[in-house]
Amino acid sequence: MNQVDLKWANIRRWLLWLVLPFVVGILIASAIPQPVVGIIRLDDAIYAYTARDMITQINYAIDHPQIRAVVLAFDSPGGTVVDTEAVYMELARLRAKKPVVTAVNGMAASGAYYLSANSDYIYTKPSSLVGNIGVIGYLPPTPIIFEEVISTGPYKLWGAPRDSDMRQIDMLKEGFYQAVMLGRGDRIKVSPEVVLSGRIWIGTEAVNIGIADELGTETDALNKAAELAKVANYKTVDLRELAGIVNTPLPFFIQSPDGVKLPYPIEAGLYMLFIPQLSGQK
Amino acid sequence: MKKNMFWIALAALIIPVLARGFLYYRGVPNQPEIATPDYQALTVSQPPLETPNPAADKEEVKQINGIVLLDYAHTNQYQPAEVQSFSEAIEKRGGKVETITDATSLENKLKYASAYIVISPSGAFTADEIRFVQAFVERGGRLIVFADATRGVIFYDFSSGAPINYSDANAVNPLLSPFGITVNNDYLYNEEEHEGNFRNIFFDEFGKNELTFGLKRVALYGTHSVKSPSGLTLLRGAESTYSSIDDAHDPAQGAAALSEDENVLAFGDFTFLTSPYQNVADNATLISNIADFALGSKQTISLANFPYIFTQPTLQVYPSSEVQLTAETIGAISGLQTALSNLNTSIEVVDETPREGDALILGTFAPSDDLSNFTDPFNVEFDESGETITVKNFGDIGRAGNGLLLFDKNNKGNTLTLLADTTDDLISLLTTVTSNSLSGCVLQGDIGVCSVGYGGSFSTDIGEATAEPTSGEATPEPINIETTPTPTG
Repeated sequence: MNQVDLKWANIRRWLLWLVLPFVVGILIASAIPQPVVGIIRLDDAIYAYTARDMITQINYAIDHPQIRAVVLAFDSPGGTVVDTEAVYMELARLRAKKPVVTAVNGMAASGAYYLSANSDYIYTKPSSLVGNIGVIGYLPPTPIIFEEVISTGPYKLWGAPRDSDMRQIDMLKEGFYQAVMLGRGDRIKVSPEVVLSGRIWIGTEAVNIGIADELGTETDALNKAAELAKVANYKTVDLRELAGIVNTPLPFFIQSPDGVKLPYPIEAGLYMLFIPQLSGQK
Repeated sequence: MKKNMFWIALAALIIPVLARGFLYYRGVPNQPEIATPDYQALTVSQPPLETPNPAADKEEVKQINGIVLLDYAHTNQYQPAEVQSFSEAIEKRGGKVETITDATSLENKLKYASAYIVISPSGAFTADEIRFVQAFVERGGRLIVFADATRGVIFYDFSSGAPINYSDANAVNPLLSPFGITVNNDYLYNEEEHEGNFRNIFFDEFGKNELTFGLKRVALYGTHSVKSPSGLTLLRGAESTYSSIDDAHDPAQGAAALSEDENVLAFGDFTFLTSPYQNVADNATLISNIADFALGSKQTISLANFPYIFTQPTLQVYPSSEVQLTAETIGAISGLQTALSNLNTSIEVVDETPREGDALILGTFAPSDDLSNFTDPFNVEFDESGETITVKNFGDIGRAGNGLLLFDKNNKGNTLTLLADTTDDLISLLTTVTSNSLSGCVLQGDIGVCSVGYGGSFSTDIGEATAEPTSGEATPEPINIETTPTPTG
């Protein structure tokens, strides 16, 4: 074997044992997906349509392994109790698999805070509105008979006696409180009475009393989510787009004839909702 | 050699994978166990209902009698049926509930009532009404005010749509302030321990009074705080009971207060009277105590209560020996009979001085033995000149044109003595007494002086010019006496 053959033999050997595995390694490495931190936005009340959208996005995040963490970006006054609970329970499934971080933009009140409590970390802006923990409901009227309406029981038309409705609302409040304490634990620095007072705090105060963790932006929330998921160089996606949500929600709040949106829900029911204009008592 | 090459190949294969992996993934995230609320374990709270006591239901309550006036003339925010438990408690004690729908009758009705009940008014009380109620309480009548934080009138701001609550505290405070009681425009709440909702609170600290006798715990449902610095706070909340005004506990305030003279009672809530809350905790006992209080009035009957000054079903009318039963006299007495029949009182003319029972004595200023029993207690002195009489606190009073009323009450019966200079003046006095409520008379306690205006020249003959009334005479008005007299006191 002459010198030239030896050279080629070496080159072939290096190509075979080094370059080829390296190329194969690169090919294999390229199959490793870039981690994704998904964002689920809620800029509305929580009700049937928005809750369904959120659940779709949550399920998408659960089902897709490249989504390593989720950020909930909230600007919501809350919504109906049942829809809030529905999202809350799906969120618990997600959190069991992937970190979830909340970024409060304008507001995470009542039901929106209920959901926020089911996340690993809560960021808020200094002047965001956070809290308003509790339940509101509209008591049914005292049962009367409408001669033109036949029903098959005394509460068929009214749903429940006023008194039992009131007590049920208080029971729902207990569920809310449990959710807050399970999510926040000893990070809460105020008494249960203060937590359940229904107060809404600005972000800085919310952090001081442990209702939220830190002042920060959505970017901070994304970084925190990545940190908790132990990923870096992630990319961010809006899960609403990925989940293919296109439907337009129906209105939840009453709109006056001139188009002004009032802070009152269209339907009577049970709500975890902040209604900012319930004030003005003289 | 080949072994080394194998390791090199393996490294070349793995390094890109590790590099990319490290680029993106820095470890294995912790997967905490996520707990959710135990929804199934949550229960709806139930009210602590008072244990029914069948023996107590059969127990006869003390019959107190009396009439309780229920105000419904100030745009009150309740339905009478809502306070049925209270009405039943009154009736169980032999009392009667009268609803006032016209405030103009208040003054008259307060003359015979045991208590005046005001529930959640939104209409203001006039200065006159407040004065009538004050006088009623000063006579020993009882005022019971129930405000309620849940019964304010809500208006909506036209431009913003914001609700504005006009609290009933605004209406009740002018009525209560003369008695040193204030109902605050707030509500009390307790987040630590409550009855189904934070604003439905228990009270288990009580001011010592018959009103709180037998109470261990009561529940109120949306109550204002009530304070009476000079009186007694009856229901005091626990330290965790806060006022919505300042989210603080004030031990000087409670949900009910009794005035210093113990005749005015104010509650910040009346929902506890309504179904189903009247049976929660000891609320039923409290309602019974309030009924006892309402009927336990010691209203002092004086001439100011006229015509509700008699307590017996029959009034004996005794014309003294100086009074002739002329046609005019009979006519005046028959007018009295008609008036009293509206009060369910009959009259009986007697020819001997009544020894017991209610009596109306008719006489003149001429001294007579049969009248002395009725005039002596009042130290009435008849001037021998025949020009004046001397009455304690009044001094000398001209006989001519004046009539004298003397009201004596004792355990044998109530006696009203009417005296005038002549029989004609007496008839005029009797007509005045019959036809109005002594508004034209000067009353001081149990003595009254009325101008009958005719100065001894009275004639029932309308055609005579001398019958023209002099100035100061109160023109007799149609009989306007409320039915159903109340024997109180």
